Amino acid sequence: MSEASRVENPYNEWINDNISHKKAGDVWLALTGYRDGQIKSHWLRANGRIDEVKTACMDAQFASLTPSLPEVAWDEREIHDLFGYHPKGHPDLRPLVRTPRWPASFYPMQKQSDDHIEWTDVEPDNPAKVVEGEGITIMKVGPTHAGIIESGHFVFSIIGENILHLDAHLFQNHRGVEKALESLSVQEAKPLISRICGADTVSHQYNFLSAVEQLAGRKVPEMIEWQRIILLESERILSHLNDLAQIPAGVGFTVAHQRGLAMKEMWQKGLSAIFGHRFLFDAMYQEKLAVSKKEQLQQLLASFITQWHKWRKLADRQQGFHDRMRGVGVVKRDDAEQLGAVGVALRAAGVSVDVRTLMPLYRHNRIHIPQVTGGDVEARFQVRLQEVEHSIALIRNALEHLQGNQQDTSWSIPDDLTGEAVSYSESPHGLNAHVMQIQNGVILRYHVKSGAYRNWPVLAFAVAGNAVADFPLINKSFELCYSCADR
Amino acid sequence: MIQRKKSLQCRHVDAGSCNACEQELTALLSKELDIQHYGIDIVASPRHADALLVTGPVTDTMQPALKKVWEAVPKPRQLIAVGDCAAGCGVFQKAYASHGGVDKVLEKPDQTILGCPPDPEKILDTLRELMNS
Repeated sequence: MSEASRVENPYNEWINDNISHKKAGDVWLALTGYRDGQIKSHWLRANGRIDEVKTACMDAQFASLTPSLPEVAWDEREIHDLFGYHPKGHPDLRPLVRTPRWPASFYPMQKQSDDHIEWTDVEPDNPAKVVEGEGITIMKVGPTHAGIIESGHFVFSIIGENILHLDAHLFQNHRGVEKALESLSVQEAKPLISRICGADTVSHQYNFLSAVEQLAGRKVPEMIEWQRIILLESERILSHLNDLAQIPAGVGFTVAHQRGLAMKEMWQKGLSAIFGHRFLFDAMYQEKLAVSKKEQLQQLLASFITQWHKWRKLADRQQGFHDRMRGVGVVKRDDAEQLGAVGVALRAAGVSVDVRTLMPLYRHNRIHIPQVTGGDVEARFQVRLQEVEHSIALIRNALEHLQGNQQDTSWSIPDDLTGEAVSYSESPHGLNAHVMQIQNGVILRYHVKSGAYRNWPVLAFAVAGNAVADFPLINKSFELCYSCADR
Repeated sequence: MIQRKKSLQCRHVDAGSCNACEQELTALLSKELDIQHYGIDIVASPRHADALLVTGPVTDTMQPALKKVWEAVPKPRQLIAVGDCAAGCGVFQKAYASHGGVDKVLEKPDQTILGCPPDPEKILDTLRELMNS
């Protein structure tokens, strides 16, 4: 940014403060819009503190951060779509969430009432960004798919067998979850929070409870903290098992795919018997479960580990499988950092960031971060292998600390809960952050910024230059959920 | 109807699910449940399908695509709502961009498989009953 533009731009503080945080290596948690015209960004610093930077819209406009921080491109488009605030200077303001079916004056996050909406009877497709030129073909896929997959619409620009550009049109599954959470009480919001996403539900539950407890000033008993670690790590194993089983399917390695799915099923059945739900929906809200089931969990771990070693051997020794994954869907370190990649995708590019190292919940644990550098499908596969084994170790450690009756009878959610809280956790799909604003026990604003949301633009970047036929493989190596991105 | 007793080809459309129903449908294809050995399968085109499995509360963006897929399924056909959201009793049915269930957009489903998400065994049992009815 030149000196001249520093002087001219009334928002230079907003832009410069955010740039300084990025330069300092802070982790960007969320960019949140509010009905009163405020825009806030929250940064997680290396010392674990959360810093807030804010600006206010003038004439429904605010200065876009995207030219300096490309990772916020989607967030600003979303604010534009849902609030009607214009991010001035944004290089690509095509609709992201809204569709031509939405009434022109309809900005759902501005709306106070739940009036019936008159959707326009047209196709929901938004303009696609494609590459034009001789020999280039455009291939559209979705939103419905040939198998059992979440809905998403992809527009590929292809030359020969290679992808030049992928324009991902997500938000087909946009239900309006954040708006649906408004005006609910903490109790009423719980089941909705659990169901933001079937793959990262525990992480969402944790963030919600963490936000509520920050405002209520609750000192969470250590036994309950150990249980939360068990739940978060159990979910990580479940999700990684799913992804590890899906990657072999991308190259036709059916044995590893089927045995991987069977292993996932075994783990999932076990979790269901212990925590009462196959996906751990609402599991963290019940605080007295794990101790009585300690032995059951130890047995499950023991039989799981036997299966795991067998499966790892099968996957490890197939050199053809690994050759097939190497050099495919590469995201280099610099690109991963600039695009705001998180989770497995970031660590596979050689960046040692895992926010569990900053979460107070894990203060008694040493978090091992896999040292992998390739940034390709193989690297993402290897990171997951190591993380499953580390999660097993974390669960074992937590089980050793679980003893006695840890029910916290003194705790109940205060009726008059008021304030704003930001919470985060490392979901199986990477950094997941929530921002909650609540007044007298009623939610005013709830914003969810999931790991998948952050990584979708990274996936689109990763597939460029690769063969079209490798898209399923690259896609599976990210295995991003649509639901917690679309909300 | 004799042929339908021997097989049930299903097409799946996600109309706003949280992906838990998808994971359970995927579990049907695992070697443990293996729906194919009962003559049930997930097919790639609605034109090959006897039944449509819908998950999710039907988001507005997915509504036109869902309608097109349903129109493409040849008659006689079965509409199956998989999970509470598609059945109209899920947690997001009142969200602004959700139509609140498959019956609001297409027609009353022939079968409704409740659960959030329904167990894969339950889905399998319902599909087998439907195939043999």
